[in-house]
Amino acid sequence: MTLTRRDFGKVLLAGVSGCAALQSAREAFAQTHPPNRSLINGVQFGLQPFCYHDLAMTRENRGELIRRLVRNGMGMVELHATWVEPRFNDPGVSAAAARDRLRAWRLSPPAGYYRGIRQQLDDAGVAVFTYYVNFDDSYTDAEIDATFEGAKILGARGCVGSFGLAVSRRVVPFPGRHGMFIGLHNHDNLSDPDAYASEASMVTGLSMSPDFKMMLDTRHFTAADGDCVGFLERHHDRIAGMHVGDRRKHNGRSAPFGEGDAPIIELLRMVRDNRWPIVALLEFEHGTLRPEVEEVDLMFDYCKRAVA
Amino acid sequence: MARILTSICVVAFAASIAAQSTPAHRSYDIEFLGAPLADPVLQHAKETFVLFGCAYCHGLNLVSRGEATDLMHSALVGRDENGNRIGPLLRAGIPQTAKLSPMPQFSDLSDQQIAALVTWIHYARQQGRYQELTAAPARAGDMAAGKAYFERSCRTCHAVDGDLSGIGRKYDAPALRTAILDPKSLKVERSFTSARLHDAKLEAAQQRHHALLENYAAEEVANLVAYLASVR
Repeated sequence: MTLTRRDFGKVLLAGVSGCAALQSAREAFAQTHPPNRSLINGVQFGLQPFCYHDLAMTRENRGELIRRLVRNGMGMVELHATWVEPRFNDPGVSAAAARDRLRAWRLSPPAGYYRGIRQQLDDAGVAVFTYYVNFDDSYTDAEIDATFEGAKILGARGCVGSFGLAVSRRVVPFPGRHGMFIGLHNHDNLSDPDAYASEASMVTGLSMSPDFKMMLDTRHFTAADGDCVGFLERHHDRIAGMHVGDRRKHNGRSAPFGEGDAPIIELLRMVRDNRWPIVALLEFEHGTLRPEVEEVDLMFDYCKRAVA
Repeated sequence: MARILTSICVVAFAASIAAQSTPAHRSYDIEFLGAPLADPVLQHAKETFVLFGCAYCHGLNLVSRGEATDLMHSALVGRDENGNRIGPLLRAGIPQTAKLSPMPQFSDLSDQQIAALVTWIHYARQQGRYQELTAAPARAGDMAAGKAYFERSCRTCHAVDGDLSGIGRKYDAPALRTAILDPKSLKVERSFTSARLHDAKLEAAQQRHHALLENYAAEEVANLVAYLASVR
């Protein structure tokens, strides 16, 4: 094929106008999709709202939760199911009956229920990264599917929970059906063979399914004498996010960021410098006399300085 | 020039006064912690309990949250004397448990910090147990069982033919119950004056009654009331 000067000019013109169109499309997208407010120097931050220790995790408090997230400059959240779902444990209702009612509700939630909550979050500029739900043996298959469906409507990319190896085996088929992942959340009990606490246990869990990813809890892993930096280096491609907090080694106590043994600064800089798409969800358990919103501000500042 | 310098000084002075007059508890989470207590020792103990994260699992007023041990009814706390049981447990933690979140160890805390935590645990337990016992419906007690309890637990300091002579004539059952649970004579404001600092008798009496309050069963209180009401 020969290309005349006239053809070349046409191609060039088309290319230029194409680039211009692409640029204007990008600008339009940027205007309608502003960057997440807690994306700092390439590191996406978010919050595990457990940090608001004074705020009961109920759907009635969801409005206050969202206001606090915005106040703290958080654009991403790990949303526990209790912020979303109704509770049925009224006085006089047995635990078994309340569980049955919750299951029934999950299987047929009111029309548009999850969409309404998604709209509420969207309006505040808060994205749900993960949906926290503690799957266990009481969940039916249909209920697990329904939970994933609800989480997906909320915008979650995965479901995370505090369960061990046995439950993990059971939930293997579910995340793939919904185009989502399951986040394995490690704790610090090295004496429980079913728990995710050691690196070996987490590797075993991850090997069950490509749809399983780690939600590496730096506080718990540090307390369990784990090597957070080494784990991130070795398994970063299987880590969806981190619960970023500080604790002391050897089952030590929680501490404000920088006062424990968790290598928070190193971890955040590794994520920043390697451009790994790992979301850093702040979560802390140390005590404070300050209002929790102020404490979140302080801990978030510590992280911002780490990636500045 | 002098006028400008004077103005600057006045403004700076006013600003420093304004800064000093900001509330002392500006960053104090009053909604979660409640208003500061009048007793500074207890307030310090409460703040220590919060600062080391105990309140988030065990509850500020010992209404436990989640899987944490219920300190309001724990037998170990009930048997503790001045931290002799709570202290070592705090320092060691509870690593070996089938539960997901073992209790962390607090080995780096000073003796004073441990003492403050212990103070709050006992104070909060006393408050909670008092509320539980006074909210429980009044019941008829067993006089003989009450006498046995008295001989076992009260006799070292009290005598029905001594300081409690005719007590059943002076007080009715509800008043006796209140006096057993929260004796007025022991309600003395905490003080660090030299005289009060070494009032070992009062301190021992307070400690003894507080230990009883922390461990009373509603039935034991009813029995004791029945016995004391019979002392005429």
